[in-house]
Amino acid sequence: MPLESVAPLLPIVLGSPVTADLPALLGGPVAADLPALLDLPFRDGYVWSIIYVSLYVSLTAVALSTLFSIPIAVVMGFTDFPGKQFAKSVINTGMGFPSVVVGLLVLFAVSNQGPLGALDLVFTKQAMIMSQFVLATPPITAISLAAISGVDQNVRDAARVLGGTRVDVALVVLKEARYGIATAILAGFGRAISEVGSVLIVGGNITGADGISKTRTLTTAIQLEARQGQYETAMILGAVLVALVLTVNAVVIRLGDQGVHR
Amino acid sequence: MLRLRNVSRSYGDGPVFRDLSLTVDSGEVVAVIGPSGVGKTTLLRTLALSLEPDDGAVALDGTDVWTAEESERLALRRRVGMVFQEASLFDAPVARNVEYGLRIRRPWADRLQAQLRSLVGLHEPADAVGDALDVVGLSEKATQRADSLSGGEAQRVSFARALAYDPDVLLLDEPTSDLDPRNTAVIEDAMAKARDRGIGVVVATHDMHQAERVADRVAVLLDDGVTEVGPTERIFEDPSDERTRKFISGELVY
Repeated sequence: MPLESVAPLLPIVLGSPVTADLPALLGGPVAADLPALLDLPFRDGYVWSIIYVSLYVSLTAVALSTLFSIPIAVVMGFTDFPGKQFAKSVINTGMGFPSVVVGLLVLFAVSNQGPLGALDLVFTKQAMIMSQFVLATPPITAISLAAISGVDQNVRDAARVLGGTRVDVALVVLKEARYGIATAILAGFGRAISEVGSVLIVGGNITGADGISKTRTLTTAIQLEARQGQYETAMILGAVLVALVLTVNAVVIRLGDQGVHR
Repeated sequence: MLRLRNVSRSYGDGPVFRDLSLTVDSGEVVAVIGPSGVGKTTLLRTLALSLEPDDGAVALDGTDVWTAEESERLALRRRVGMVFQEASLFDAPVARNVEYGLRIRRPWADRLQAQLRSLVGLHEPADAVGDALDVVGLSEKATQRADSLSGGEAQRVSFARALAYDPDVLLLDEPTSDLDPRNTAVIEDAMAKARDRGIGVVVATHDMHQAERVADRVAVLLDDGVTEVGPTERIFEDPSDERTRKFISGELVY
């Protein structure tokens, strides 16, 4: 509901003495600077709830995926085993796996007849996290593995002849590969937060009766608004999504820079 | 103290060396000379206890390394240090590089605590770090990033990194072959200082003049084994082995 349409109601609710102060309450330079946002039909908390769901789902999925992927990348980077090349090509294929198919498979898994049906996860954030996890894991694993494999063999040798155990050598390699691993996590996050197909299928793009997002993310909201012809709203949400991705990237790059200039 | 007895090691289709015996005592510099590709690096890695020989025994102070328990072998391995031809420094400040050997020898709880302290800028490197950097004349570079150093300085830091935890044996694999004369002189001087501290130093080099300058004893490695070991002067003045004589006089060309 537009804020301006609420404003005339306020004096009735709060009583007339407030009327004189209302322009001051609402107005001032701040409100003048934000006409575009105030004109849009956003309910209180609608945008924030979408941002919250987007970040909650993507960050949780990427965190779980990182905990899962890095050990795999370390083991694959440090050992040779039969089928290693095959495992690598499976991971690389996973990077290009269509997200809608992942969504479909997760939906089957959590549906009533599926193996996880008892958990009752259809159209929940948990199901969305599952599909995002499946999508984010291949890029995080593959890029981390490339970064770990790219660490100079001389550096590993140095850590070992200076008295390092296998764990010490692995820690040195992880530290040397830290920018590559940060890139990997960012790539996973980028894939998760900008993804539409699978979260739409398993999440259902649902808001509550109060207009607060249950499983609606920025991407699915943009898709919905654009389809309904609300291009302005879609653009604003798109700008929020881009700003969010840029912010997360900037934070990670800043952390990496601290590593350089410490 | 560090002793190879009848050690053999093959690589791929042929033996690198056979039946090789060599002893390194504390407080001496032993130069291993020989042409490229003869197995000097393999020999040094065997001495560094990081490469298991196919045959023969390696013992440090009488303890056979490769029959010892894993934990004991780690303890033995940690009494040895090695410097490669390339500096191979970690992507970190100079002082943290030099401190590495000390750091990994501490219990995990201490390491974690030190890591947390360094995150908030409270960590002070151990005195041994400053001492080791003093030996190679780079104390003033302690806070610089390793990748901001010149090649010669990086190699000197690499030397300090192996010296900082006070090993009993220090192995140097062609440590100066990429360096200019000034940095070479610093490294050679540092070898002498390490010897004075009672460290047994082994330097593999193809530079016979360097061997003559720095070594108390010389081992000549040709083809598949040590042809001769002896005091530096005798090896260069009066080698008893015919092939050693030809190699030193330059008649034996590889």
